[in-house]
Amino acid sequence: MAVRILLVDDHPIVRQGLRTLLEGRPGWEVVGEASDGIEALEKVQSLQPDVVVLDVTMPRLNGLEACRLIQQKQKPSGLEVLVVTQHDSPQMMREALDAGARGYVVKSNAARDLLDAVEAVSQHRVFTALARGPQAC
Amino acid sequence: MKLRILLADDHEIVRRGLCALLQKHEGWEVCGEASDGREAVEMAKQLKPDVIIVDIGMPYLNGLDTTRQLLQHDPHFRVIVLTITDSDQIIREALDAGARGFVLKSDAARDLVSAVEALQSKRMFFTPRVNDLVLAGFLEKGHAISRNEAPNLPTLTAREREVTQLLAEGKSSKEVATVLNLSTKTVETHRSNIMRKLSLHSIRDLVVYAIKNNIIQIQMPPQIQRPTETTMA
Repeated sequence: MAVRILLVDDHPIVRQGLRTLLEGRPGWEVVGEASDGIEALEKVQSLQPDVVVLDVTMPRLNGLEACRLIQQKQKPSGLEVLVVTQHDSPQMMREALDAGARGYVVKSNAARDLLDAVEAVSQHRVFTALARGPQAC
Repeated sequence: MKLRILLADDHEIVRRGLCALLQKHEGWEVCGEASDGREAVEMAKQLKPDVIIVDIGMPYLNGLDTTRQLLQHDPHFRVIVLTITDSDQIIREALDAGARGFVLKSDAARDLVSAVEALQSKRMFFTPRVNDLVLAGFLEKGHAISRNEAPNLPTLTAREREVTQLLAEGKSSKEVATVLNLSTKTVETHRSNIMRKLSLHSIRDLVVYAIKNNIIQIQMPPQIQRPTETTMA
């Protein structure tokens, strides 16, 4: 299944690592990158991705606020948000899901969980995984 | 002959990004990847890389102590420190530890290749932001970075710093003993000595000390702003 992905993280080297992982999957395409929440909103509008892979701690507009705004504007299009963050915390996971994210992955385990998570959220299924491992939803 | 590079970062996704960046450069190869400082030291001893890229905020052994141990083992190792923070204290500690390169993680995509090239040519590399900081410190204080801001680290031995990091990461004395291949009793002796030397009274105090002195790093979550009734309407 073709999936168009937007990567949002303030560290280019992390975006490069995420891109390397995602582009290994046939049919998946990284259509753009953004380095903060404001740029993410602009790219969502112009690129119309299927999945936004979104960091939380970013300059100008953090990922949770960006997620809320994306959901307000783009929900009818079927776009899904996957939060990929350094915060290995159930509380932060709850905040992300409350903000409208469909998935939550901890950065330290992104190499383990990212592909499964993108696959799940692109099919509108919830995927959450703290560092100890994915949870059945 | 290819320049051999060892990467040490606890995030595989970051290592993947670094690998992708470095392997574009003809004549360079990533000869190994370590996910914590202790593994980096062991791999460096075996692989003898030309350049070692070390993240500061790693579990088990942070990047600064990793750099110290690497250079203690072989002063010819060339180490680049990668960091998310650019405080005077971090810069000074990295230089004191013997790092020859200092690159901010946020600038790594732009600066890391230049840093490796510099070390390959037996030069040092500091990003423009670090150079600005050092220069600003020099101009403001009349000398390079102030020694008055030096942390209390020298009062601890290398082994005590290792124990401090592991305890601050939440490990029990038994777990610390397993990681360091010591007896639990020896770890408890180190623990008592650390608490006495630093005048600390609890593990909470120890964690605060470890954070203040860059032995462990934490990332604060963003301020969560709840939508107001007006904005929700």
